[in-house]
Amino acid sequence: MTDGIRISFSDVAKRYDLRVIFKAISGEAVPGEVLVITGSNGSGKSTLLSILCGLLRPTRGDIRHLRGETEIGREDWRMDLGVVAPSMAVYEELDAMENLRFFARVRGLGPSEDRCREGLQAVGLDPDRRTLVRGFSTGMAQRLKIAQALLHDPAVLVLDEPGSNLDPGGKDWLEEHVRSLAASGKTVLLATNDPREMEWGSRHVALAV
Amino acid sequence: MWRWLSEALAVAGKDLRTEFRTRVALNSLGLFALTVLAAVSYTVGPYRIAVEDRPFLLAVLLWIVVFFAALAGLDRSFVKEEESHTAPLLRLAASPPAVWFGKLVYNLCLIYALMAILVPLYCILMGYKIVLLRAFVVILVLGGYTLAVVTTIIAAIIARAMTRGALFSVLSLPLLLPLMIFLIQGTTGASEGSAETVTNTIRAVLSMGGIMTIVSAVLFPVVWNE
Repeated sequence: MTDGIRISFSDVAKRYDLRVIFKAISGEAVPGEVLVITGSNGSGKSTLLSILCGLLRPTRGDIRHLRGETEIGREDWRMDLGVVAPSMAVYEELDAMENLRFFARVRGLGPSEDRCREGLQAVGLDPDRRTLVRGFSTGMAQRLKIAQALLHDPAVLVLDEPGSNLDPGGKDWLEEHVRSLAASGKTVLLATNDPREMEWGSRHVALAV
Repeated sequence: MWRWLSEALAVAGKDLRTEFRTRVALNSLGLFALTVLAAVSYTVGPYRIAVEDRPFLLAVLLWIVVFFAALAGLDRSFVKEEESHTAPLLRLAASPPAVWFGKLVYNLCLIYALMAILVPLYCILMGYKIVLLRAFVVILVLGGYTLAVVTTIIAAIIARAMTRGALFSVLSLPLLLPLMIFLIQGTTGASEGSAETVTNTIRAVLSMGGIMTIVSAVLFPVVWNE
C-alpha cells in the first residue's frame, strides 16, 4: 500500500474553443479503490481520463499525481500507468505477441518473453497465434488492449469502458481482475455507463452534459 | 543510455516491420522516384545535355528526384500513428527522445534504401560520371541524414493537423531548399573533380545536419506531448 499512487484533481475544466466539455470537476482516486466516472454520452468522461493520464491539458484546474506526498515525475508516471480506452489502439499490422513485445521494450522491461506470454494467456489469447491484430474480432482486440495495459504491472490503471465488446466470460474475468487489483493496492479509474461496472467503485464522480 | 537506445530501436523496428507489411511509404517513395526517373531518362536521356552542362544539370535533376520522392513518403512515420489511433498509447508508453530517434532511424532506412536503388540507376541511365566517387558517397550519406532529420521533425509537427499533405511540403521546402542547393553544388563538384567545392559542401551539410539534429531533439518532446 505504501507504493500506491493517489490522483487528486480539483476544479478541472475543459473547453474546446467556445464548446464547454465540463467545468469544475473535482475528485480523488486513492490506492486500493476504484474511482468510477459516470455521465451520459458526450459528457466528457474520456476527455477527463485523458487529462488525468496527462495526454490532454485542462483549460483550468489542478491535477496531482502523488506517491505519498511526493509529486511523480513524467518518466515515473509513464511506468506507473496502464490505460485501456476506445480511442487508443494497438498496432493492427502486428500480431498479439509482437504488440506486447514492443510495449515491453519501449517501457524498458528487459527480457519479457515469458511476461508477454503470461499476459496474453491471462486475457484468454493464444500467444502462439500469428494472426495480425487487423484480423482480430473487436472483443479479441479489447483483450489485447487489456493485456497491454497490465503488462508492466502499473500502480494506476485507467479503464475507459473496458467491458465493451467483451463476452460474458470476459466481463466476469475483468470484474474479478479489477477487484483483485484494487484490493492489492492499485489505483483504478473507471469511466463507464454500464450499471454492473459502476458497482465496482467505492467512489463516484458524475459528469453532466 | 542503453535502455534509451533499446527503446528507440524498438520503435524503429516496429515501424519497419509494419511498413514491410503494408508498404505504404515504400510504394509512395519508390513509385514516385521510379516514375520521375523513367520520365527524365526518356525525355532528357544521357545525350541531350551538352557535355559541359552535364555535371550541374544532372546533379539538379538527381536531387529533385530524391527530394520530391522523400516529400511523398517520409511524413508517414507520424501520420500513420495518428490515423490509426496508436499515437496516444505510444505517447504513454515510450519516452519522447526514444520515439524521435526511432522515427529518425526508420526514415533514414527508407531514404538510404531509396538512394541505394535510385542513385546507381540514375547514374547508369543518365550517363552521369562521378570523378570523386568517395566524396559523392559522403555527400549522399550526409544529405540523406539531414533530409531525414528535417522531414522527421516536420512530420511530427504536422501529424495532428487537418491539412497534413499540403503542410508537410509547405513547411519542409524552406528548410530543405538551402540543403538542396548545397547538395547540388557538392554533387557537381564530385562530378567535375573539384575537391574544394566538395569539401565546402560537406562542411555546410554537416553543419546543417548537426544544427537540425540539436533543434529537433530539443523541440520534439514539446511537439510530441502538446
